[in-house]
Amino acid sequence: MSAKEELLKRLSDGVVDMEEDDVAETAQEYLDAGYPAFDGIMEGLVDGMNRAGQLYEEEEYFVTDVLLCSDAMYAGLEILRPYLPEEAGETKHKGVIGVVEGDTHDIGKNLVKIMLETAGFDMIDLGRDVPLRKFVDTAREEGAEFICMSTLMTTTMGGMQDVIRILEEEGMRQQMKVMIGGGPVSQKYADKIGADGYSQNAVEAVKLAKRLLNITNDGLGMR
Amino acid sequence: MLTPKERLKRIMEGKEADRPACICPGGMMNMVTEELMEEVKVCLPEAHTDARKMAELAKAVYARGCFENYGVPFCMTVEAEEMGAIVDMGTRIYEPHVVKYVINSVSEFEKLSPVDVKKGRAKVVLDAIRILKEETEDVPIVGNLTGPVSTAGSVMEPVVFYKELRKKNKEAHAYMEFITDQLTAFGRAQIAAGADVIAISDPSGTGEILGPKYFEEFAVTYINRLLDSLQKEKMGTIVHICGQMSPVYREVDGIHSNVLSFDSVVPMKEAREHLKSRVLMGNVSTYALEFADQEKVKTLTRGCVKNGSDIISPACGLGMKSPLANVQAILACLKEV
Repeated sequence: MSAKEELLKRLSDGVVDMEEDDVAETAQEYLDAGYPAFDGIMEGLVDGMNRAGQLYEEEEYFVTDVLLCSDAMYAGLEILRPYLPEEAGETKHKGVIGVVEGDTHDIGKNLVKIMLETAGFDMIDLGRDVPLRKFVDTAREEGAEFICMSTLMTTTMGGMQDVIRILEEEGMRQQMKVMIGGGPVSQKYADKIGADGYSQNAVEAVKLAKRLLNITNDGLGMR
Repeated sequence: MLTPKERLKRIMEGKEADRPACICPGGMMNMVTEELMEEVKVCLPEAHTDARKMAELAKAVYARGCFENYGVPFCMTVEAEEMGAIVDMGTRIYEPHVVKYVINSVSEFEKLSPVDVKKGRAKVVLDAIRILKEETEDVPIVGNLTGPVSTAGSVMEPVVFYKELRKKNKEAHAYMEFITDQLTAFGRAQIAAGADVIAISDPSGTGEILGPKYFEEFAVTYINRLLDSLQKEKMGTIVHICGQMSPVYREVDGIHSNVLSFDSVVPMKEAREHLKSRVLMGNVSTYALEFADQEKVKTLTRGCVKNGSDIISPACGLGMKSPLANVQAILACLKEV
């Protein structure tokens, strides 16, 4: 294993092992050795986060674990990102994400955001208890291609349908993909309210977003 | 024929009854709908802060043939508010929710106000229980508590809380002990006021979020400590846990409540296989209750009975727009059998 490979592996392992400080230190060491930041992010940090996502799918890891892995990833990103070369190249796919009005449970939403960002999407996080119109207004202002909404409560599910209705009224429904998720939500509910897709967890959400936007796996990179 | 109270009591004790009970506890398990509020002209959010209105709305749930119990409160923010969190009381259709936390880390828990059951909405809930106790009989009164993990995640940012379970493990335990003491005080006061049953819902303390190790270390441990600290002079206790049970059946079986309740992602048949000796409650889909028709609700109800549920109830809080006829179909179906 080359010195670079070794450092990449340490970055990746640090993320999987939730070692925030180790990852930050290793990222600095990696930069000091003169290796490109881009590889450190993609083959180190993102690789680790994808492994954490895999462990989550296999029920080895749970939500709290993935949150700590993402802290470690973001600690490394903070150090490496300033050293990325300025590129005019392709722009990232942009999405708006939030928990619908009336609900403040945002663990699931945070997880989906983390995994989408790891996969290279540019996510605008509106937080929780988000007024329904704000999803649409933000998507328009930011030129987003998709909206992700979640709720854990049956009482607030109806808000998702309202957002789709507002999109229709504003003539934006055609160019906007809508994905939904959360405890009481199901594929059946997505079909009923005319959402483009439903996903059961954060890993599935990435696959769904890629499918809805016709993105192949190599078309994305975290910048 | 058994009264609703006698029936629930027998079932909670694991004895035979004439048919399954049909209840919806309240708290997180909301049983109020828009149609019901309109019929009795008592509305949310006013009933969250007025003991008389709270009691009247609770009575209406039984009087209109929805469920065979009374239950208060109708939200899961009372405990957090009494500890200092700022709560938005919601609207007719949105539940109250916390809008401002009190602390930034588990290590700051000493900044929280202890729950004073003689004040604020804790008192409103206790007064409502006293009214129900005085003015009714034969129908069980359910007092609701927010579970320890969910309460802990209501007075500080839950993401930080979850991380600190690992990063500040010792302080996290001290924090959970404090939280559990507050819930115990409120629960004991509810029983003293006349609650027959205590129902604890802990939607943020799931096996899916915590994983088996932390579920046992934090959810089960403190739920049990709370259950064990309540007076013996009560009919029984219910614990509702959200999410998939498959990773944590063994741990769930260690919960000391009389009854275990699950949401609709848990197949009742699977729960029955894993929890052979337990009294189980659930779990008619709230999605079906809101969007399907009475026939579908009845089919689901019969399915719950067949698959081993002892107490039939909605799987989660009811959507406010659920048609009353659908809600009433559960009990109607049980009476037909």
